[in-house]
Amino acid sequence: MTAGNWPADSRLQARTDGAEIRGVPPDRWRDTVSFLLQHGYTFCGLHVTSPAGVVELRAAFIRDGAFHMITCQPDPQQAPTLIDLVPAAAWDEREAADLSGLVFSDHRTRPLITHPEQLERWTTSVRGHDTHQVAVGPIHAGIIESGHFRFHVVGERILHLDLRLFYKQRGLERAAVGKPLEQALAVAQRACAACAVTNSVAYAHACEQALGLIPSSELSRTRTALLELERLYNHLNDIGAACAGIGFSPGNMIFATLKERAQRVNRMLTGHRFLFDTVQVTRSDLEISEHSALAARRELRDIRDAAERAWHEVLFHGSVQNRFDGVGAITAADATALGAVGPAARACGLAHDTRSATPRLTYPDFQVAAPADPSGDVRARVEMRALELPTTFELLDSLLARAIRPAECTPGHEPIATGMAAVESPRGRTFCTVERDGTTVTRLRLRTSSYANWPAVALAATDNLLPEFPLINKSFELCYACCDR
Amino acid sequence: MRGDATAVAFQFAGLALAPLVPGMIQMVKARLQGRRGASPLQPYRDLRRLWRKRVVAPHDTTFVYRMAPSLSAAALACALLIVPFAGSTNGWFGSDMLVLVGLLALARFATAAAAWDPGGGFSLMGAGRDLMFSVFAEPLLLLAFVLVALGAGSTDLVQMVAAAGHAHVASTPAHWCAALAFGLVVLVETGRQPIDNPDTHLELTMVHEGPLLEYAGRDLAMLQWTAAARHWLVLVLAASLFVPLPLTAPANVLALAAVVTAFCVAVAFVETSLAKMRILRVPVLLGIGIAVCVIGLASWIGGGAT
Repeated sequence: MTAGNWPADSRLQARTDGAEIRGVPPDRWRDTVSFLLQHGYTFCGLHVTSPAGVVELRAAFIRDGAFHMITCQPDPQQAPTLIDLVPAAAWDEREAADLSGLVFSDHRTRPLITHPEQLERWTTSVRGHDTHQVAVGPIHAGIIESGHFRFHVVGERILHLDLRLFYKQRGLERAAVGKPLEQALAVAQRACAACAVTNSVAYAHACEQALGLIPSSELSRTRTALLELERLYNHLNDIGAACAGIGFSPGNMIFATLKERAQRVNRMLTGHRFLFDTVQVTRSDLEISEHSALAARRELRDIRDAAERAWHEVLFHGSVQNRFDGVGAITAADATALGAVGPAARACGLAHDTRSATPRLTYPDFQVAAPADPSGDVRARVEMRALELPTTFELLDSLLARAIRPAECTPGHEPIATGMAAVESPRGRTFCTVERDGTTVTRLRLRTSSYANWPAVALAATDNLLPEFPLINKSFELCYACCDR
Repeated sequence: MRGDATAVAFQFAGLALAPLVPGMIQMVKARLQGRRGASPLQPYRDLRRLWRKRVVAPHDTTFVYRMAPSLSAAALACALLIVPFAGSTNGWFGSDMLVLVGLLALARFATAAAAWDPGGGFSLMGAGRDLMFSVFAEPLLLLAFVLVALGAGSTDLVQMVAAAGHAHVASTPAHWCAALAFGLVVLVETGRQPIDNPDTHLELTMVHEGPLLEYAGRDLAMLQWTAAARHWLVLVLAASLFVPLPLTAPANVLALAAVVTAFCVAVAFVETSLAKMRILRVPVLLGIGIAVCVIGLASWIGGGAT
């Protein structure tokens, strides 16, 4: 995991299995990032922290499941920006600017979390004959979280979409500071209900890496099973939601039913439909008897058959094909630049899946699913969910072959002050950083897959018709609460 | 033509029975989707609830906005009183199909104009789409009527209905082309899938629901009744013009009820089995309907020459 010759002036601060942290001077910040990108590292998060009152900028990169974090102490009025090198870091930098008052040099940071009243401060100016704006939200007609979409359109065609999320910032990351590692898990988990397990496991892994612990094989089996149960009900839900987006009720109803059945399996196994409170730091208290596991496997096999039949019905329905094909397409290059992850990225042909390199989880011989036609449109994104379901069903079938017992971590490597973890949620890679002082959290940063994918939604809407937007949005099916963390 | 008392009574009954049609469609749809669904009387409950509520109008709206619900409801009420029952009509407003087309256009104009008054983005978007559709839907309706009128030799609805019962009219290709086109008219006028989705209030996709967005209380009740009346009107017309029904009073009404019920089920089936179309494909679909009408027209001219 060494990356050739490091640029001069970079100083190794800490190193352990799967993580390396280097300090760089602010003027070498951008060079170091270019160096990492050239060596095949992918950007996975940037945040600001201020231990001992000094502002520090941290950027994390991942390659083959191993992390590389670089950190610098910039001039708070002139921090070096990355957005031209890594467009995916745009939201991270805007968030850092809003939350810590850091000013990035060489570009005007538009606010992300604070919401100025003047339109020109946060929207893109669009000029020309017959262009106008359509504002939707933050209050919507459906039961949905707050998000404001400002469309710049000509007639029905979308020229540009400005997103404004972050309406209900809960300050979760700040709430975690000062809490014992064990307790702050509840805070990380509550970032989002639909990815509760992913968030918890990412947080637990980050803590365990910081503490120098490795999950036992039993523990990693439990967590993998929980992650796949979460993926199952999410994917079933997402396919149904896409059908609802085009008013195709049979598809919507059948997948809603299957999702409900999957959630009842969750409740039977763990006592909670959304699998809340099933993950603990350094251990697992979850106990599933052989009998329950067997019943779950039987029900899951039933759900699998029904889901396969239903997907074929949906796939070969002419009026559905008409709506899905060629709508909301993004190219692989754009997806890479914007840092899109998960099914949305795989639908454009990027074979990225965090599950293929996760030493802390049980994914033997994992094959990244790929669509037959990686067109990056709504069809490809919905199809990705259907393509990933068989793997999930097979994994669950083997993971639940035995009873699940409480398990613990074992000491494995050197402890480190900052732990990092990436876990594949139903929507893609969720990245978590935990900085600690002893057993107390000093900084938590949770960058969920929804957070990573939102900029791609805005791009996918471009050049499509206004009435297609709900469908495009649903094909990503991202979470608003993941921003309001 | 002065109608008998039974026909007049049934025409007035139509005003009251209209909400049953969307109620029935919704019920069948729910059953087809595996839901229990509301009773077919649900539209009446909604109307009662809304009727008791005060009217609230946005600031700075003028009479254009305030008049629209009563104007469109009145237009549809007149239209319902024109449609003949049991081979006769009351004759108060005549019974010419052109009047009917005009009344439907008037109702559409009233709601579209009302959308411009408060200037809300979503109402305007809905109204704009509705008007775009109507550029194609109105000629389609007119052409379908004309084809039937050609066979009947009159634009009088009473004679058009009577002609539908004659085998020599009902068996012409022109009549069948008109029936096909009228099927599309039913979907457009009722605002049903695949053209529009009556169940969605998803802001960006609304067509017919858009202009109704700002209305409340009695105004909304009137607009909802108008939508129900459109359902009643087009389904009753479809049954009268294209299904040979007995023309005497009790038999006609019973047969009509059966056919309209069957049509409700058919609409529910279409709506359940098809996703909503892409919005810019709708004019193409309606254009195909117009082409069918033109073919029908050509066949009538050709057939008339021999």
